[in-house]
Amino acid sequence: MLDKIPDTMEAGRGFQVGFRVNGHPVTLEVPPSRRLLALIREDLGLTGTKRSCELGRCGSCMVLLNGRPVNACLTMAYQCEGADIVTIEGISAGGLHPVQQAFQEEGGFQCGYCTPGMVVSVVALLAANPQPAPEEIEEALSGNLCRCTGYASILRAVNRAIEQGGDIHEN
Amino acid sequence: MLQWREDLLRTPVLYQPSTLEEARKLKRELGAKAVYAAGGTLLRTLWENGTAALPEALIDLRGVAGFSGVRHEDGHLYIGALTELSACRSHGEIAMASPVLREAARGIAAPSVRNIATIGGNITCGYGDVLPALLVAEAELAVSGPDSSPWVPVAAWLADRWGSAYDPETIVAGVRLPSASACIELGGRRFEVYRKVGRREAFTPSLVTAALVGTIGEDGVLRGVRIAAGGGSSRPHRLEQAEALLEGRRFSAELMSSLCETVHEEYAPSGDAFATGAYKTKTAANLIAAELWRLLHPREHSPEQPVSPGEMASE
Amino acid sequence: MKGEETMLLNRESSGARWRTRPDGLEKVTGKLQYLTDRSAEGMLIGRVLRSAKPHARILGIRTEAAANVPGVYAVLTHEDVPGLNAFGIAFPHQPVFCADRVRYTGDAIAAVAAENEELAEYALSLIEVDYESLPVVTDPEEALREEAILLHPEGNVLHRAEYREGEPEAAFASCAYVAEETYFTPRQMHTYMETEGGLFVPEADGKLTVYSATQHGLKDRMQLSRILALPEERIRVVSSPIGGSFGGKDELNVQPYGALLALRTGRPVRMHNSRAESVRAGLKRHPMKITMRTGCDREGRLLAHTVRVVSDTGAYATLGAEVLNFATEHVIGPYQIKHIDVKSVCVYTNNGVSGEFRGFGGNQAIFALEGQIDRLAAMVGIDPWEIRRRNLRKLGDPGPLGQPIAPTDGARQVWEALEASSLMVERRGSPVREPYDPWTVTGIGAAIAMHGAGLGFGIPDPAGGLLRLAPDGRIEAVFGYEEFGQGLIATMEQMLVEQYGFAAEDLRIIIGDTDVVPNSGSSTASRATSMMWMALRRLVPDFAAKLTAAVERAGGGAGCHPGKGGMWKDGNQVMTYVELAQALSEPIVSETAFSYPTTTMERVGAHFLYTYAAVAVKVEVNTLTGRVRIVDQYHAIAAGPVANPQGYLGQIEGGAAMAAGFTLTEDARMDEGLYLTKNLDTYLIPTVLDFNGRIQVEPMEDLPEQDTYGPRGVGEVGSVCLAPAVASAVFQAVGKRVNRLPIEPELLQEMPFMSGKAVDSHVG
Repeated sequence: MLDKIPDTMEAGRGFQVGFRVNGHPVTLEVPPSRRLLALIREDLGLTGTKRSCELGRCGSCMVLLNGRPVNACLTMAYQCEGADIVTIEGISAGGLHPVQQAFQEEGGFQCGYCTPGMVVSVVALLAANPQPAPEEIEEALSGNLCRCTGYASILRAVNRAIEQGGDIHEN
Repeated sequence: MLQWREDLLRTPVLYQPSTLEEARKLKRELGAKAVYAAGGTLLRTLWENGTAALPEALIDLRGVAGFSGVRHEDGHLYIGALTELSACRSHGEIAMASPVLREAARGIAAPSVRNIATIGGNITCGYGDVLPALLVAEAELAVSGPDSSPWVPVAAWLADRWGSAYDPETIVAGVRLPSASACIELGGRRFEVYRKVGRREAFTPSLVTAALVGTIGEDGVLRGVRIAAGGGSSRPHRLEQAEALLEGRRFSAELMSSLCETVHEEYAPSGDAFATGAYKTKTAANLIAAELWRLLHPREHSPEQPVSPGEMASE
Repeated sequence: MKGEETMLLNRESSGARWRTRPDGLEKVTGKLQYLTDRSAEGMLIGRVLRSAKPHARILGIRTEAAANVPGVYAVLTHEDVPGLNAFGIAFPHQPVFCADRVRYTGDAIAAVAAENEELAEYALSLIEVDYESLPVVTDPEEALREEAILLHPEGNVLHRAEYREGEPEAAFASCAYVAEETYFTPRQMHTYMETEGGLFVPEADGKLTVYSATQHGLKDRMQLSRILALPEERIRVVSSPIGGSFGGKDELNVQPYGALLALRTGRPVRMHNSRAESVRAGLKRHPMKITMRTGCDREGRLLAHTVRVVSDTGAYATLGAEVLNFATEHVIGPYQIKHIDVKSVCVYTNNGVSGEFRGFGGNQAIFALEGQIDRLAAMVGIDPWEIRRRNLRKLGDPGPLGQPIAPTDGARQVWEALEASSLMVERRGSPVREPYDPWTVTGIGAAIAMHGAGLGFGIPDPAGGLLRLAPDGRIEAVFGYEEFGQGLIATMEQMLVEQYGFAAEDLRIIIGDTDVVPNSGSSTASRATSMMWMALRRLVPDFAAKLTAAVERAGGGAGCHPGKGGMWKDGNQVMTYVELAQALSEPIVSETAFSYPTTTMERVGAHFLYTYAAVAVKVEVNTLTGRVRIVDQYHAIAAGPVANPQGYLGQIEGGAAMAAGFTLTEDARMDEGLYLTKNLDTYLIPTVLDFNGRIQVEPMEDLPEQDTYGPRGVGEVGSVCLAPAVASAVFQAVGKRVNRLPIEPELLQEMPFMSGKAVDSHVG
């Protein structure tokens, strides 16, 4: 039997985690190692965040955690305590984001399965750096795999978003 | 027995110690059933790939006092183990103190993974891509705690990590680098280069990583050269014979040739499913020699007269 | 023929033809519900137990412990399949559940349905299987040896294909030059971002609804009917939208398990493969070993060509035979050669199953064939592009198998366009080494191909669709196709808007639901664009006439025609579609059914319609690391009129990126029947940094006057030429011939600093 260590939090099943999703406070009773991806898709029913490789190697499940892109499949419930999480649904909660507008106009997608994650990464990039250099765009998108487009139309969409002031979301 | 097995489902119990001693004590009590976790990105990858089973317990190090932050301390730059790789990539003080570390961080996984993954985790696995950079930066690690333990040079820690007597309770609490001011010593031109070669242009596991630092004097003499190589899941290490070969020498074709031969003798990683050991060795030798060639070569050649390393070497 | 004024395809040059995709808003906002996003009240989670061994006898399966877990609602094995315990589009012999033998690690042994993922996983871990290992056959040539263990009762050969013309053995004697080489291509993975899955719902009326991706819903319905012993009318397959397929989801994957579990439990069941399971069980591109001997005269005119193809289809057939037929045709390709001997064989092994994949065997064949042409050009001492000109098929020539084909000038069109491209002009210079990066060498190379469309002679290839004025006034276009990202819905909308004058708002496009669509055939083989265009040509006049008559009956007068929003006459709108629909007692419907055009020569799989591609590519070879980067590309494509500029451009760019992976990084490596590349951390598709160079696409839209077949699909042709063009560029850069993909960096690596190797002959 393990000696009880004071000041050490211990949690098995029935662990409670509280965070905000797209501005709404959420409290869930889940296993602490449950993935944020499952919390979002299964527990909260927000299916815009996609499941694909499940080990942080494709970017389909990209969300913002405290404003920075992270892979929801790598992030565990306990790591979200107190965090502010924004999913693709939150990006357009107040109307179409200029980045989404640019993706639509340039056709920066085909099957669309990587698109939510791609949009999240671009939104984060432009929020931090409204006029990124080409290398900075490429680095920011290096963790988002797209199998359909060959990236050319995605880069055109990003450049269009930059030209149109894609860092500013009016709503 | 722990209560978690009462349930059929394999859900690790989470422990969130607030001090290093608590964390170590937990690990001591729980043994192999428990793993330390910080960002957890490597763990999740191992679990998903079936390389490692989901453990019975996770010991979350993120709440441990003193593991966070980047600060100057005693003429060093201290980087807490919980510092994310994205911070290593973007932090101004780190870039000043160790351009090689910054560049190493840039090449690891992708920005979103670097937002979770920590420098402590990259070090602790024993083969992370920051290690060659830390080796040439002469970094030291706080191995049990920032206060209670001596600072251990990275090379010494790696020897321990790869040895048979590695203590699984070990926690890397932080890294310290000689601060930028301490590096400006010998005069001349300082260089810091880090290169990574993988199987694609980005977001790739490494096959070969190489880091080199040093200075080139006004007289063209190399001083204080430190070189390290690693990559894949090979143990990274300093290339001391290569360093010794270069110390106090000026560029020459013979020197570059000898350098390559020395790297060949000194760096012999094993092959894997994707590259032979010979390829890795040749790549390391080529990258190191080519970077030195670039550093040591005057740039007055006009673009109309392209030169090859061979031609340059025969001057 | 019209004059050939072409220009690069892009948003600017497309003007108003560049349209926003109808599915765009839902995709960029994440609101689009993929079939794997669906859930239902009371839903269970289904999982499949895959074989632990690549080849073994099954001595026993014990499922009791799994079945006894609270929250587990069903555990199924081979004993629970009411109908045919097998599937396969062409040859149904892959067991739904293995009974006594497993042949690859993707083989299914059992399936469970449980309350949640964790319980399902736990239940799988409790199923015990006793295996007796059998020798693992991993090399197709080993599998062909007499002493090899037989994987199937009929032996280890799935299919042989041959083509012979003239007397090649004798002809080689008269050749001035003969090139001989063996080429190897990788086990490429489709890597659709959405893995296989869906929702399976037993309906109150006894029907089963299958929400799961496929490229031919009616074929899935037929296969499921066979397995479930349920009449087809009682199965509804909803197959769109799909998060990528590239051929990989055409065959059944999770559907048998989801369907059986749903029927057994009476509850909705969701299946969604993890990436690891997708890699293990899913299809790949056939690895091929292609040996070629090709001879020409002093002027470079091709005289003789012998080819041996060995294709690894893995454990089961799926479309291995059809892919082999396609490769057999495309190893001859766009060149007129008098003496030909092709012998191909597709072989079973215990490797992962290979099947349909964008390009369909053309990618492998064209890499080898173009490699031969380059080698011969070097022997003859002429430009590699010139040697192609001397041998290309001309307008009116037969196809590769000597079959009559739709007259085409595509080869000349793309050859000339490429010849005039800036990359080919630049190519005439020498390879360049930058002074301060002398280890990075650039080279430019090119390749050309013809690529067959449609399923080919002798294979049922139905087409058709219907137009309907629905009661709410929408004009419904109803087709049995699937949308997996290629832009089929957008192309349909664009055709109806541009060619027939409807407004996008007037339309409702209905696809991918077997309860409501006619048999339009499969969304494969670059066929859907052509078939939609031909269907609309048949449908619209009839539909318009019915609308006109209906307006007259409704008192709107005679002689009006359909336009934006409603029926028009003399520039005035007579009646909206909504008004017209309200005036009708039943919907107006026009329906058509026909088949994809085929050649008259009776050879199974021989094609009638072809598209052409020529690609020039500039690469940088880093001789320190041996790594190759693609930095500039130009694609000339002859596929008839561009039906949808954004879709066309996207298909060529995307196809090229997939080909870049095939050429440089992708190989689903196996060792003793087990995948070494289990997920996307080791199976590496291109990232944005691997494919960030310039890419230009120039469509050749003119068709010969007698060609009435309209726009051709371009889903595949963009992916077949890049690999040989890169190999050619690498040769120009560093003088090394590539015969194996993906290109092995070690082959191109140099040691410029080592003594004795200091002077590099490739500079200058």
